[in-house]
Amino acid sequence: MEVVDHETPSLENGQTDKEVEENANVLQFMDSMDAYLTLIHSLSSTLRRGWLELASARHSMGASRVNTVLLDHTSHPAATSLLVTQDEGKVDSGKPHFTLCKWASSSNENSLLGEKQSSQDKLHPQLRHRGSTELYEEKTSSENKASREVDDPVQKERSKSLSMFGTLVSPKLRAAQLSFEAALETLVEIANMRSEMLCAFDQVNMKLAGRKDEK
Amino acid sequence: MYGFEAMTFNIHGGYLEAIVRGHRAGLFTAADYNNLCQCETLDDIKMHLSATEYGPYLQNEPSPLHTTTIVEKCTLKLVDEYKHMLCQATEPLSTFLEYITYGHMIDNVVLIVTGTLHERDVQELLEKCHPLGMFDSIATLAVAQNMRELYRLVLVDTPLAPYFSECITSEDLDDMNIEIMRNTLYKAYLEDFYKFCQKLGGATAEIMSDLLAFEADRRAVNITINSIGTELTRDDRRKLYSNFGLLYPYGHEELAVCEDIDQVRGAMEKYPPYQSIFSKLSYGESQMLDKAFYEEEVKRLCLAFEQQFHYGVFFAYMRLREQEIRNLMWISECVAQNQKSRVHDSVVFIF
Repeated sequence: MEVVDHETPSLENGQTDKEVEENANVLQFMDSMDAYLTLIHSLSSTLRRGWLELASARHSMGASRVNTVLLDHTSHPAATSLLVTQDEGKVDSGKPHFTLCKWASSSNENSLLGEKQSSQDKLHPQLRHRGSTELYEEKTSSENKASREVDDPVQKERSKSLSMFGTLVSPKLRAAQLSFEAALETLVEIANMRSEMLCAFDQVNMKLAGRKDEK
Repeated sequence: MYGFEAMTFNIHGGYLEAIVRGHRAGLFTAADYNNLCQCETLDDIKMHLSATEYGPYLQNEPSPLHTTTIVEKCTLKLVDEYKHMLCQATEPLSTFLEYITYGHMIDNVVLIVTGTLHERDVQELLEKCHPLGMFDSIATLAVAQNMRELYRLVLVDTPLAPYFSECITSEDLDDMNIEIMRNTLYKAYLEDFYKFCQKLGGATAEIMSDLLAFEADRRAVNITINSIGTELTRDDRRKLYSNFGLLYPYGHEELAVCEDIDQVRGAMEKYPPYQSIFSKLSYGESQMLDKAFYEEEVKRLCLAFEQQFHYGVFFAYMRLREQEIRNLMWISECVAQNQKSRVHDSVVFIF
């Protein structure tokens, strides 16, 4: 009877470790691709909702109040900006990371802090049941407190953005604004997820190339 | 009893009342709307409309169509009908017909002033103005820096001049001041129109009082809901409500202090005509409020045609046609966005 020694590492077990690592890379790639496709679907439905809410606002307030000619062409700072950084402290440090700085024209520190914390949480998607749109863990209670503190300035900034259509606007227009805001956040998540996916793909390719060289 | 209008009305108003009743017969029915709701593309809608009175206005429009094009061309038909009636009308009907357009005039003034504040081209703004609200010196609005100049340079020679007395300041025009100006002008216009109709007396006064009171009450509710969560103070909000209507004055006192939609509901449900409107809504929800108000308005406007020998039929026809254009706009948007399941969210059937 042949006795298999599981404790002593052999060539066979080394390859198994390699295979485990390759499988992990492939799983990470597939997981990030699944998250990417789910985000694309989510973006599509959010935009559909936003456009219909905008049409509903136009129906409610009248065509003269919700019109492209009312868009502000004066010079003014952007309400929201995109920060592009390189991931630090990682082997694949060439990977870009995108952070949305919402309402950056005022209260910069609070909004940046809130966004950075939430974006760091979103760097590491976890395995989950396919078809679910819930990608990330819930915010901690400290983050919730921080988000409540920035709510009033955020509401003011939202009203300021909408003021080009008048200061007394229909709730439908405010709902449309929230939908497009959510779509913008989803777009940044898609960009980060795509970056993650391409990085995972590169790693899988590297492993495959390494295997071919060995043969 | 009224003042023997049946004996004298037809001398000056008979022809135009017949014309407007003929136009009323051309309004879309539920069957027409059901056909339109089956359309898959805007070109299908154009094809259906080509068989209606809107046909000549849309036939030369090239594909691909846009929803704003459909609305603009349908509005041109209304403008043509209005101009025909206006040029045939004698006093006091001609003044009555002009009153109907002052609301559009106010919207156009605010559009030009707001667009100029945002450094938009004047020609671009003029193209987007409602044709019923145009006047000769409208383009000159772009040079005004504050309300005093607005009045002095342009509006002093327009029908809106009397409405400016309550909002003339030297403050520069900004978004909040413009909004207050818009609502103050509209309040003054509604009150003036109401007094004019009262002076006419008879069936016109009775029917128009009801319609204008409903308009004033609806404005009060919309101002309240739209100002929740904004910087508009309670006093400023109260000043924007009209000084007539079913809600005046006690309903206005309650609306002025409302902080959410449920408080608005609580204030409105004390009035039986509005209790039925709010009973269609669930608590905390305001999305369907517009449709509920439009349905009530359409019901009242259709009732105006049940009586003869009054000017209310002209006002009712214009408003019903505007509702029809709103319906067409909504159906077009739902078709263009491939959201036909949502068509019945905002379409209000007239017949």
